[in-house]
Amino acid sequence: MMLDRRLVKNFNWSIFSLIMVICVVGLVNLYSASYQTGLSVFKKQLLWVVLGVFGMILISFLDTKTIERYTQYAYIASVLLLITVLVLGKEVSGSKSWISLGSYITIQPSEFAKVPVILALAKFYHNDFENAPYGFRDLVKPIFFVALLVLLVMLQPDLGTALMIILISGSLVLFMGLRIRSIIFFLILAIGLSFPTWHFFLKDYQKERIETFLDPSRDPLGSGYNSIQSQIAIGSGEVFGKGLMRGSQTQLRFIPERHTDFAFSVLAEEWGFTGSVFTLVLYLMLVLWILDTASFAKSKFSMVVCVGVAAMFFWHTLINVGMVSGILPVTGVPLLILSYGGSSILTAMLGIGIVMGIRMRKFPGAKEAVEFR
Amino acid sequence: MREYKSRFLIATFILIQAFLILVGRMWYLQISRGDEFEKFSLHNRIRFVRVPAPRGRILDRHGREIVVNRPSFDVYVLPEDIKDPERLADSLSRILEIDVVEIRERITKAFRENRFRPALIIRDINRDQLAFIEARKSRLQGVLIEVNHVRKYPHGKLGAAFLGYLGKANEADLELYPDIRGDDIVGKVGIERNWETYLRGEDGFIQKVTDALGREVRNNLFERDLKRRDSIPGGDVILSIDLRLQKAAEEALGDKFGAAVAIDVRTGGVLALVSHPTFDPRDFVRGIEAKKWKELIEDRSFPFINRATQGLYAPGSVFKIVTAAAGLKEEVINSDTRFYCPGAYTLGRKTFKCWKKGGHGTVNLHRAIVESCDVYFYNVGERLGIDRFARYIAAFGFGSLTGIDLSERAGIAPSKEWKLSALKQPWYTGETIVTAIGQGYISVTPLQIALMTASVANGGTVLKPQIVKRVVSSEGEVLAEYGLETRGQLPLGEDIISKIKDALKGVVNEDRGTGRASRLDEILVAGKTGTAQVVSHTDKVERREHNDHAWFTSYAPADDPEIAVTVMVEHGGKGGSVAAPLVKQILEAYLKIKKGGNV
Repeated sequence: MMLDRRLVKNFNWSIFSLIMVICVVGLVNLYSASYQTGLSVFKKQLLWVVLGVFGMILISFLDTKTIERYTQYAYIASVLLLITVLVLGKEVSGSKSWISLGSYITIQPSEFAKVPVILALAKFYHNDFENAPYGFRDLVKPIFFVALLVLLVMLQPDLGTALMIILISGSLVLFMGLRIRSIIFFLILAIGLSFPTWHFFLKDYQKERIETFLDPSRDPLGSGYNSIQSQIAIGSGEVFGKGLMRGSQTQLRFIPERHTDFAFSVLAEEWGFTGSVFTLVLYLMLVLWILDTASFAKSKFSMVVCVGVAAMFFWHTLINVGMVSGILPVTGVPLLILSYGGSSILTAMLGIGIVMGIRMRKFPGAKEAVEFR
Repeated sequence: MREYKSRFLIATFILIQAFLILVGRMWYLQISRGDEFEKFSLHNRIRFVRVPAPRGRILDRHGREIVVNRPSFDVYVLPEDIKDPERLADSLSRILEIDVVEIRERITKAFRENRFRPALIIRDINRDQLAFIEARKSRLQGVLIEVNHVRKYPHGKLGAAFLGYLGKANEADLELYPDIRGDDIVGKVGIERNWETYLRGEDGFIQKVTDALGREVRNNLFERDLKRRDSIPGGDVILSIDLRLQKAAEEALGDKFGAAVAIDVRTGGVLALVSHPTFDPRDFVRGIEAKKWKELIEDRSFPFINRATQGLYAPGSVFKIVTAAAGLKEEVINSDTRFYCPGAYTLGRKTFKCWKKGGHGTVNLHRAIVESCDVYFYNVGERLGIDRFARYIAAFGFGSLTGIDLSERAGIAPSKEWKLSALKQPWYTGETIVTAIGQGYISVTPLQIALMTASVANGGTVLKPQIVKRVVSSEGEVLAEYGLETRGQLPLGEDIISKIKDALKGVVNEDRGTGRASRLDEILVAGKTGTAQVVSHTDKVERREHNDHAWFTSYAPADDPEIAVTVMVEHGGKGGSVAAPLVKQILEAYLKIKKGGNV
């Protein structure tokens, strides 16, 4: 790969700064959530963020065409990893979602699977000359790609990630256009599948979570406890919050999974309405910027990838914040970058890196100009 | 990609909608309901630890301590800090002398309930055990000592019959006092129960920060939120009892079964109230052991009965005071009326004996009282008839509660109506005759006899006995005061009362008086002996059960009465020789106290 000087010149510093602000907010928040139990969590996250930022920059310099070329390999690697995790994975609270690499590092292949799904769909739409709206028969191939990954993730089972993959690819399919008849068909299919899912795929604790969400008072100290404590944490932050490392709900461990799924509750408690809205605005800006990039994209592939990455951030943020604030059921969906976890950080950075690369090449003819010189 | 432009617009619109929903939710939680959630988070982390209020003391009329408090060192374990439960159970068992299995059970239970909350092992360990635990603190990790208040009885069993005891609240108590909890200690009987609301005080609290697991957090970060409220000690109950007189009365009765009552004839204040035998309130301090409780409950000497207010006995000849009063007032007799006593009285085919075998010969009322002639009163009783007699019996307060704020029984004031309703039988004249000498159906408590005596002594006022003078808060404020209360006036003229008083003086001071054993040189005593036959004596094996109850009731000084003293010795024998000397002892103590200062 040739390093293109125009690329360096086009490097988008404002969006890089936005990412860095989100990273710093996340790290500060994680520090507060974990300093009592030693800083190993914080240090690991710091390492992941640094690695992620470098990865993001590296990826951004990759030519989109190269990425397109490697799409099938990424997809196959993802499938293999998901099969490996089912065989070799270690079980944590009922789910086989993790592969241990040595005693310190564990990776979560299901997190990574989101990017290959986006790439595969992008490639499908790029190569497909049919124009919208698509019908069900046109989409057999992408549905198979998505369904295979969803199935593998469901087998772990990792309900949250499976839901994410469905939501991201669903958004893409809708964005690219779908016939009304097919929309109705998918709706019927979703409802039809939800019953066997409920009976065969969901474990008791997952059913309990959904039932508890529908009626939180049925078990205030059981599954509803997490949601209630999280809402108390957020609410008690009031306008300006209780201050860094001063959130009683956080520091006295009333909030469950403070580093991961409930990281936003920690932030909302300690920084109040000001901090939580500030953070939400950061994510809004990020997603709007990705969509903006999509609208300028030179190729269909680039556009679909951008929309996919935008959907990934959008759904993660909506589902996670909705969950911790009690408007959605508790599903294990992290808030990208803010929640602790190497796999989800790397996935997020990977996605942004690709979008950045597309953004840097948004000027028509820019690439050709360099190549001719 | 121009053809997607409208889709980007739609997507952006959806995006902003979702963003607004989330911001709206934040607004709702953090702004609209922020204060509410702030309170939730405060309650979440704050645990109230109760600071028990010291119970009020029980003092005598001069403020001398009768029941007070002392610290109790209670042993708790905090499961979180226990390294080796087995070894800890072994060591504790050796130090506290409790069965290992029992301690192990309590530790296991503590682990099960909450690892971070101290669980009680045993209350009130002694000083040696305390020293032992303190010295080995490093090796007894997880063991905590907490200080509480428990009752202390500096005079042991003194006054137990009316002081009562404490115990764990039962369901009835919980209903009675809405602000107490299941494991609280409340007064079960006597003063402790009847003045419970004054004695208890108000518990305070301190707040502690706990984490989600209930573990106490010593993190000064959140200490500014902590509040505390000091406990308010209970009010002191000031009795009308005089500690020294009470002691003297208890000593006088000694190990005899029976009761002694001393009351102020002017106010109705109870100066001493003895019932023997009694339980030992010290057995209840740590919570009574089941075995001990069973023993007390099954004890045939009835240690839980306050004989002075709940014990029912035939009054015997002390009741002749009532018969004489009724006879004089109804003009069946006057002071000159004489009857001949041959040693027995015949009614129809029945013969009623006088206690003196040879008889008293011809006697007037004065001699009949002084020498306690039964035949004289048989005559009075027969001439009165039960209907008229019953009015006087009731007027003296028999057959009804005295109104003392302790458990008491009313006894039986016999009448035609009573017999018809209680026994469904008609009244016989013979029964009037035995009633005249305090035998038969009549049954009274020693307190009732003391009040009868007081009403004669004070010129005819039937008083309500007062055991408590007042209740004073820990800050010295008077919370309640109990003054003189009268229940009625005897329907007797001054002349009748003085005639009876004259005779009662004779009982003690004349050569042939039956109560000479209570005579004192320094003070003129008046009184009346009684020797009550125990009606049910079919079983001849157990001697004591057949012996008569010995009564003596008195007041002094005879000319300006201050105090009435009544002693009843269960199965003691003759009132004159058994009860009268005890009264003398009590009156001597009274004089000594009086000389030393006020009573």
